[in-house]
Amino acid sequence: MTLEVRGLSKHFAGLVAVADVSFAVEPGEIVGIIGPNGSGKTTLLSMMAGLLTPTFGSVLWKGSEIQALRPEIIAGLGVVKTFQNPQVFAELSVFDNVQVASHLALKRALGFRRGLEVLGAARAVERRLAERVAEVLALCDLGGAARQLAGNLSYGEEKMLGLAMALMCDPEILLLDEPASGLGRDEVHKLAAVLAKLHDAGTTLCLVDHKIGFLRGLAGRVIALNYGRKIAEGTPEQVLNDRAVIEAYLGVRQGAGHARA
Amino acid sequence: MTGQALLWGLLYALPLVVRSDFLLTIFIFTFIYGILGVTFDLIFGFTGQLSMFHPAVFGVSAYMTHLLAVRFALPFWVATLPSAAAAIVLALIVGSICFKFRLKTFYFAVVTLAFAEMIRLVVMNWNSVTNGTLGLVVSGKPTIYWPGSGVVPIKGPIAWYYLTLVCLTLTVLICSRCLGSWMGRCFGAIRLNEDLARTLGINVFRYKLLSFLIGCALASFAGALYGYYTGYIDPGYFSINQSMEVLAMVLLGGQGTLLGPIVGSFVLTGLPHAIDLRAEVRAMLYGAILIFTILVMPRGIVGTLFALRSKRDA
Repeated sequence: MTLEVRGLSKHFAGLVAVADVSFAVEPGEIVGIIGPNGSGKTTLLSMMAGLLTPTFGSVLWKGSEIQALRPEIIAGLGVVKTFQNPQVFAELSVFDNVQVASHLALKRALGFRRGLEVLGAARAVERRLAERVAEVLALCDLGGAARQLAGNLSYGEEKMLGLAMALMCDPEILLLDEPASGLGRDEVHKLAAVLAKLHDAGTTLCLVDHKIGFLRGLAGRVIALNYGRKIAEGTPEQVLNDRAVIEAYLGVRQGAGHARA
Repeated sequence: MTGQALLWGLLYALPLVVRSDFLLTIFIFTFIYGILGVTFDLIFGFTGQLSMFHPAVFGVSAYMTHLLAVRFALPFWVATLPSAAAAIVLALIVGSICFKFRLKTFYFAVVTLAFAEMIRLVVMNWNSVTNGTLGLVVSGKPTIYWPGSGVVPIKGPIAWYYLTLVCLTLTVLICSRCLGSWMGRCFGAIRLNEDLARTLGINVFRYKLLSFLIGCALASFAGALYGYYTGYIDPGYFSINQSMEVLAMVLLGGQGTLLGPIVGSFVLTGLPHAIDLRAEVRAMLYGAILIFTILVMPRGIVGTLFALRSKRDA
């Protein structure tokens, strides 16, 4: 069992954002989380990445509890999250953005010996990392924009950059918060291709998204949330045909279909 | 890069041409304040933490170096080391408290200022050691080993010029090595987006503290040099004006650059000397320059020049 969520709840001053949600993500899986706006998807993901502390419940990663750990520790353990609104260092170039994200890789490669690198004694490692940065940029189709300032990128490119930075952290499980929202059709295809490549390389993915079509193509299993509660879990087809999901999520009468993608 | 190397070369060659004590004195003050400015910029311009603790480090180190040298008959350089250690310990305490409680921007500035004031009050009232508000006269001189003539004291403007210039060069070199490595990347990440830095695995607390420690440790040398150069130490070293002056230098010269604080230091120490003005008029001029810079070129002198150059290259 890779990542397990047990009875997770989050209350914001009386508002119950997430209530008693439990599920598990197995290694190599792609799990999708769907739900209408305000159903607690982002809150759930933030708790899994340590950005929010749960009110109740626990998050287990490889059998040990991580919900009380700081986000940088959790990232170091291999659980990395991207943001719904892309977070980038706008004043740095695209290349530098991803290079900042190589921090964990450098730490893993050198440990405390990275003090030597300050003196200029461990240049080889730094050069290897720069090559990795270039690889990750190429994978995310940002190779051509490497010298541009991140602040000048389009929304879609910024999201890709966010993904590239997360990838540079060498995640074992990647938590993606609405990676496809706001993207054009071509960009969605590109994103799906990158995610499929990651999946083939053995990365576990857990993604939250509105675009059901996008999730249906990728996810092996889907979890549906409504008002912070888990209302369905199963294959995409099962969940999308679930009556409670259709009522809650699609907001249309049963039978009217779930074709909106 | 070559331009900067040329600039440093010129600085090293200057006393060969310029013999005027007046000009050399301006440069000596520029260099000492330059050390303070560069180390402040490491914390403020590069890591984004507006520290008001620099005068405390500056003053404590000035007092400690002198007192240790006198009481234990230590050479200047030996006495600077415990002073730097004291600066590190102080920075460790203050930094840990501030960063543990995640104090940012003005909150961080106000709390570090309060700590600096606390230290100033201790120094002012600890008469038996610090001689209170009357201050102390420093009669010692730093010494260096010179091949051929043995251990010689640093006397006269040219010797002081080179001593302070070498110290400034070392400070800039250490800072640029740190900033050019992963450390600098972490500092920048924290300045630009702390939350993002955290999710990328950067321990924000640790790197803020590291920046603060390096900055304070190096700044302590400025205090020691200043005390020995002026020959007089008083609690004015700790005043909030020092903080303001350093901040003004960095803003004027260009925050987030290593050259900027030195240029700022030159303008703000040199100009008032060069133009002989009454103290009040001088303060007004200071203020006017500062307002002008912030309004017209918020990146400071060096930042604006860099921006122009990169625009031309592009």
